[in-house]
Amino acid sequence: MFKELDPILHSQLRLAVMSILISVKEAEFTFLKEKTNATAGNLSVQINKLKEVGYIEVTKQFHNNYPQTICKVSPVGIEAFEMYVKALQEYMNPGRQ
Amino acid sequence: MDNKNNPLSQEESLLLISQMINKAKNSYHESGIGPMLWGTVITVCSLVTYCQIKFDFRLPFDIWLLTLFAIIPQIILVAREKKKSKVRGYDDLVMDYIWSCFGIGIFLLIFINANIIEALQPVFSHYKELTGQKSMITYRSFSTSFFLLLYGFPTIITGGCRKFKPMLWGGILCWICCVITVFTPNDIDMLLTALSAGAAWLIPGIILYQKNVKGKVTNV
Repeated sequence: MFKELDPILHSQLRLAVMSILISVKEAEFTFLKEKTNATAGNLSVQINKLKEVGYIEVTKQFHNNYPQTICKVSPVGIEAFEMYVKALQEYMNPGRQ
Repeated sequence: MDNKNNPLSQEESLLLISQMINKAKNSYHESGIGPMLWGTVITVCSLVTYCQIKFDFRLPFDIWLLTLFAIIPQIILVAREKKKSKVRGYDDLVMDYIWSCFGIGIFLLIFINANIIEALQPVFSHYKELTGQKSMITYRSFSTSFFLLLYGFPTIITGGCRKFKPMLWGGILCWICCVITVFTPNDIDMLLTALSAGAAWLIPGIILYQKNVKGKVTNV
């Protein structure tokens, strides 16, 4: 029996954001926008969804008089991401456990 | 990525994950200016000291004071790079600590050496009377080995952890030269120090700088 893929992560932009954040300690919103080629609006919506489920932590602050949004993956997010990858691997290699 | 909420196949998901991880990994990097600065300063100081010993002349100031002046641009460089950086990697803090400890360690070693030289000065002054040997040893001929030992530590760790081979090999060369300088006189020690600093910092710094200029970023 296959595990159901996490619907929060099984979306292109949210998965892209999580994959970047899992590889670094923290990243600015502008960095995520640059790497995913997403529009600010769409990225903002998806980041909020990830924040609502507790997968990422978002800090808003001012840096040199400019607003700065810093995103960081949470322990819950790391666990969810690992489960998602594991589930994907099971789909790809159904014989293996 | 506006239509990025489309359903994904399992293969597409895995591909996207690996692409994004690679993009993130290749995004935090150094400009190479810091290693170039220190590589140049230490190489120049060593070569000038070599010439002073070899051609028997003295500059009106200690050339190694250049290292003190190099700290100012280094602080400005680090502050600028941190300001520009939009992402922080997991090992950034570790690297900051390693290189800060290295810098402080060098100054502690200079302080220790100065005190040892002062304490052993009477022995060196009466070396011929005490041993009957003509040639006189100096503590300075061994102190270079300690410096090269220290140079190797952060360089090997950085090169190894960030998978940047030129720096890793440069660090290993520092340790090889560290062993050789135990058996060589002061002038050769200085040549080996110049070689080590060039290989450990100057050349890797130039490689990093060129990659940055070309836009080929690397995760160092």
